[in-house]
Amino acid sequence: MGKRVLSRRFLPPDPRVEEPYRFTPKLALRVGLLGMLALAVFAALFLRLWSLQVLNGQQLLRAAQNNQRRDIRVQAPRGPILDQNGQVLVTNVPGTAVQIWISDLPKRRSVRLREIRKLARLLHVPAAQIGAAVRKHRTDPLTPVKVKDGATQAQVFYLKERAEDFPGVQIAPTYLRFYPRKELAAHVLGYVSEISPGQLKTLHDQGYRGGDAIGQTGIESYYDKYLRGTAGLSQLRVDSLGRPISLVLPKVPAHPGNAVRLTLDVKLQKAAEEALRYGIDRARNSACYGCWNANGGAIVAIDPHDGAVRALASFPTYRPSLFSGRVRQRALDVAGLTPRTAEAANFPALDRAIDGAYPPGSTFKPVTAIAAMQEHILQPYESLACTGSYTNNGQVFKNWDPFVNEAMTLPTALAKSCDTYFYQVGYRFYGMPFDRGPRLQAWASRFGFGQKTGLDLGSEQSGLLPTPDWRKKTYTKKTDPGHWEIDSLWKPGDSIQLAIGQKDLLATPMQMARFYAMVANGGKLVTPHLLQDVEQPSSNGRPGRAVPSTPPPAPEPTNVDAQALAVVRDGLYQATHRSFGTSASIFGSFPMSISGKTGTAEKSIDPGDGIPRLFNQSWWCGYGPSDSPDLVVCALIENGGHGGDAAAPAALKVFESFFGKQATLTGPIHSD
Amino acid sequence: MVDHYVSNARAAARARRREAVEVASFVRRLDWLLLGSVAAVVGYGLWAIAGITHHDVAGDQGYYLTRQAVYIFIGVVCLVLAVLVDPELYRTRWRWIFGATSFLIAIVLLTGPIRGSKRWLDLGFFRFQPSEFGKVLFVLALAGFLAERSRRLHDIRTTLTTLGLASVPVFLVFLQPDFGSALVYCAAVFAVLFVAGTPWTHIAALAAGVAALAVLVLGVLPAAGLPILKQYQQQRLTSFLNPDQDPGGTTYNITQSKNAIGAGELRGRGVDNATQTTLNFLPEHHTDFVFASLAEERGFFGASILLMLYLLVVWRGLRIVTIARDPFSAIVAGGLVFALLFQIFVNIGMTMGIAPITGIPLPFVSVGGSSMIANLIAVGILLSIHVRARGQRR
Repeated sequence: MGKRVLSRRFLPPDPRVEEPYRFTPKLALRVGLLGMLALAVFAALFLRLWSLQVLNGQQLLRAAQNNQRRDIRVQAPRGPILDQNGQVLVTNVPGTAVQIWISDLPKRRSVRLREIRKLARLLHVPAAQIGAAVRKHRTDPLTPVKVKDGATQAQVFYLKERAEDFPGVQIAPTYLRFYPRKELAAHVLGYVSEISPGQLKTLHDQGYRGGDAIGQTGIESYYDKYLRGTAGLSQLRVDSLGRPISLVLPKVPAHPGNAVRLTLDVKLQKAAEEALRYGIDRARNSACYGCWNANGGAIVAIDPHDGAVRALASFPTYRPSLFSGRVRQRALDVAGLTPRTAEAANFPALDRAIDGAYPPGSTFKPVTAIAAMQEHILQPYESLACTGSYTNNGQVFKNWDPFVNEAMTLPTALAKSCDTYFYQVGYRFYGMPFDRGPRLQAWASRFGFGQKTGLDLGSEQSGLLPTPDWRKKTYTKKTDPGHWEIDSLWKPGDSIQLAIGQKDLLATPMQMARFYAMVANGGKLVTPHLLQDVEQPSSNGRPGRAVPSTPPPAPEPTNVDAQALAVVRDGLYQATHRSFGTSASIFGSFPMSISGKTGTAEKSIDPGDGIPRLFNQSWWCGYGPSDSPDLVVCALIENGGHGGDAAAPAALKVFESFFGKQATLTGPIHSD
Repeated sequence: MVDHYVSNARAAARARRREAVEVASFVRRLDWLLLGSVAAVVGYGLWAIAGITHHDVAGDQGYYLTRQAVYIFIGVVCLVLAVLVDPELYRTRWRWIFGATSFLIAIVLLTGPIRGSKRWLDLGFFRFQPSEFGKVLFVLALAGFLAERSRRLHDIRTTLTTLGLASVPVFLVFLQPDFGSALVYCAAVFAVLFVAGTPWTHIAALAAGVAALAVLVLGVLPAAGLPILKQYQQQRLTSFLNPDQDPGGTTYNITQSKNAIGAGELRGRGVDNATQTTLNFLPEHHTDFVFASLAEERGFFGASILLMLYLLVVWRGLRIVTIARDPFSAIVAGGLVFALLFQIFVNIGMTMGIAPITGIPLPFVSVGGSSMIANLIAVGILLSIHVRARGQRR
């Protein structure tokens, strides 16, 4: 020992002799550092453990307890939809739904697919459909995915017995929408289906949750807030595989939706739909030009006093029940309710009464007449020549009846629907000073043309009321490179044809009905509406009561001169009663006095052979009884020929039902 | 003859007496505090497992418990054998050990995958996980190499060769893929270099290199479209930094784990009320997340006891580094203890959301034969070093 010390102190170390290993200060430093690191590590672990268990313990304990509590949304039964007399249009039937909780499906893909295939075989639902539904809801794992709505008792028992084989599959009671009157008023009622991810995003704030049923169209959609009720809440304790380990405990009861009572009248609605089909059949069976292609139409019947809609028919139609319960894609395809097949079935989901815009043709002439009298460019009893054609600046405009040649006053011109008479009036509008704007359009706009009627039914077209400004905006160098310089100008022909409701003008049957209601009620523009009231059903000891709902806007005065209106009403009366009236042969013998105007509007349509050509759209709009009108009816038959061929007889059927009186058709029809 | 016989008999008796004295001295020279604390951790862990897996296998409450007890028994036998082996054997045979380690890990890659990765060798009665044993063997091999070069530590080539050698098993383990074990291997490499006395400059360069690599692998290369890690690996590594991003997916485990730990509060919820564990909300609660289950069932007190026992084990381990008789023993002790510390921190830290999620079992507690046996062997080697340490009376 001493020797080594000496040698270290006085001699260099002998490289041949291996120095014994010693614990050097250098190593001591490093071990010390490791020890401090270890202490730091344990200090960190202790502090974190303290923070989790002692400082945040209660909060995390709550989280752990909530873990196994699953909230189950108890769907409320949807409110029924009634007609004005309380007749049921839509109600519910109870059903049993099979749902999947995505978070509880097996994590392994192969196991999951096997379970889905098994479920698909059991429920007769395509596995691909379940897979797609699961994929669609993957981002929202805590909302159940509905697999099937109307499961049978046997299927339910099987699933309950083998719950172990189907982790994540649950049985829940549901309500299915039931339509006791089949496709009656389908376009008004609309249909209900599960809320889509897009809707959910916008409606989440209003209390909608995934899996909720929501009205997609029609009243179901527009008054969904009244119909849907308030969902309840139940709780269930589950393990991590989603297997229930307790009974379902109700926490918040569900409140059923309110009943929505419509202004519709089931009897009249039925009559309108039958009348529509009758009108179409009549057109198809007649020899009129192009009528073989009559395949659609609409009938609107409203109360002229307040705009309450009594009937709203559109053809072709569909069965809303196709969307109830399990929706089968093939059934929708066949019914033409998918984008792929809609055209072949002539768009059955389209509500032509408010969402179809057509040139109104001669039914627009009363608008021209009132506007001309208001603007003092036409005296009601001044005589204008009604000829077979009218030439303006070398352009020839034809009358529908080429053989007429007489001078007539305004009521007669309306009754006979003389085109050439109104061409001259239209040209007078063209000649008016430009600084006050287009006057005919100003009046038409005041009568609701070119704007939505405000019907409480959603998807509605505003039609088209052409003006010089509209021409300038629509036909620009970009949109119409060949002819924009000419097309962007408002020409005499535009005013002339607008006077008889042709060329660019488009209106919906509802807009027309609204205008005729204005004529019928003495100058007040009504807002058509379907809602009568909302009623809360008595439930859980709560008595039923009416729920306050927003009343429709009151009729607005249009400040039309009563004299002018009287002239037009006279013309409309003559049209249905004088021998020369365009629908006199149809309404003349009806026990109630009906006034109204036929219309034949040319519209370019491709009937399916790739060659678009002009087809006559058959119109009739009018009201009865003539002296104090209670009902306005507007009928439109697509490609139905002249107004008297199809639309007027169809409208008559509606009046027959409304007044409970039969008519006999007399004489040949001579109408535009 | 007789004389001779007598003297022979005496010699034999002397030899017997000497042997008895030697055995007694050998036993006396064991680090009883280390042995005792390890025994306490193992026993405490077994008790914890009994509670944690009580509801796991329907109809057989002791399923995991008996298994774990058998592993412990095998491990104890291995520990005794390891104590008897002089570490000098490992030092001289480090090339063999290195080859065997790499070979064992490599053949795993040739077998079929189990649960998506190739970590196990199925021996029929036992699933053998070479990467667990590799942690011990790897340290022995690198320590052997460094002890050989103990006079040339300042040469950068020594450090680089060590890293080169180490990269073979690390890479093989990474391929399995067993990212957690690969990390443990890396920690062990650092520890052996550190304890062997590698210059600070080398260590600093190494640290800088690791940091650059982490940035490259986690940030730059994936952005450039060259992902090294599988996506789930990357998410696990980084998700603990922002735990609320995706509670349904990557961070589900960590959320449930924290809920379980917190729900334990001071005294624990007991075996039957620990719903996070019994209702299986906490996945892998008998292996990777065993600490969370322990904390849920036994509370802050129960979890603290385990932490303190670990601290005791680590302290005794580090003490062995200071008394080792030669550089090899010191380096081995340092590598083993640091690997142990690293595993404890990463595993427990993971369950509490302060370390990335990696599949590292909790030493001496997680159910699993390979891990338990390998860790007991490591303790055996530490004891063996202690027995033959400097300043021990012979």
